[in-house]
Amino acid sequence: MTDATQVAAAASSRDPAVGLAAVASLRGLLESLEELQVGNARAQGWSWQQIAQALRVSRQAVHKKYRRFGI
Amino acid sequence: MFERFTGQARAVVVHAQEIAREQHSARIGTEHLLLALFAVPEGLAATILARLQVSRSEIQADLARGGPFDADALAMLGIDLDEVRRQADEAFGPGALERTRAARSGGWRSGHLPFEPASKKALELALREAVHLGHGFIGTEHLLLGLLHDGRARDVLVARGVGLDGTRALVEELVRKRQAG
Repeated sequence: MTDATQVAAAASSRDPAVGLAAVASLRGLLESLEELQVGNARAQGWSWQQIAQALRVSRQAVHKKYRRFGI
Repeated sequence: MFERFTGQARAVVVHAQEIAREQHSARIGTEHLLLALFAVPEGLAATILARLQVSRSEIQADLARGGPFDADALAMLGIDLDEVRRQADEAFGPGALERTRAARSGGWRSGHLPFEPASKKALELALREAVHLGHGFIGTEHLLLGLLHDGRARDVLVARGVGLDGTRALVEELVRKRQAG
């Protein structure tokens, strides 16, 4: 990260537009990371129950979300 | 509507589809149509954008901000996207993060990509702009005007000082010159 970016970030961190966009971006990143991990777990033979427990969500929730991807 | 498109305007639509696919997008967005205008350099839109000193690389950089992974925004939270990407690549192979369905925003699609609603609207407005200017065809210049009403393309153009009224006046002037010459 450049100094200019750091300065801009520091200056605008109280700007809701910037802060909310950052959170939205983080959510996108979270979704991608979860997808990678779930795919890897399935490839290694983990059950939906095991994945759900590790993610601390219900089995139905994780199964419903990823079933259609054919993972 | 496409039957009234000039060859160059059709080329823009084809390029927009290719750009959208390269970016793993599920739909053709107004931003893809905007980038495609630069891909047809002989079109009047490209001439106008050059005259207004807007380059493809600048627009691309503008669009990269606020994308699926916004490096600057994440840095604000103390997250180094390059590092996250490096870790994901190491564990799951190169480009793993970008290949996820979540990153592609919309799941698997193949063949022709549909236009997003804002793009459809922009194409309709291009037709309206052509009619309004008394032009019997839809050229790249009308596509540019259509994009200047709403959507992401409009937002980055306006941020670069390119507005609807000024661009419309420029189109009128250039088309008149082209017809006179």
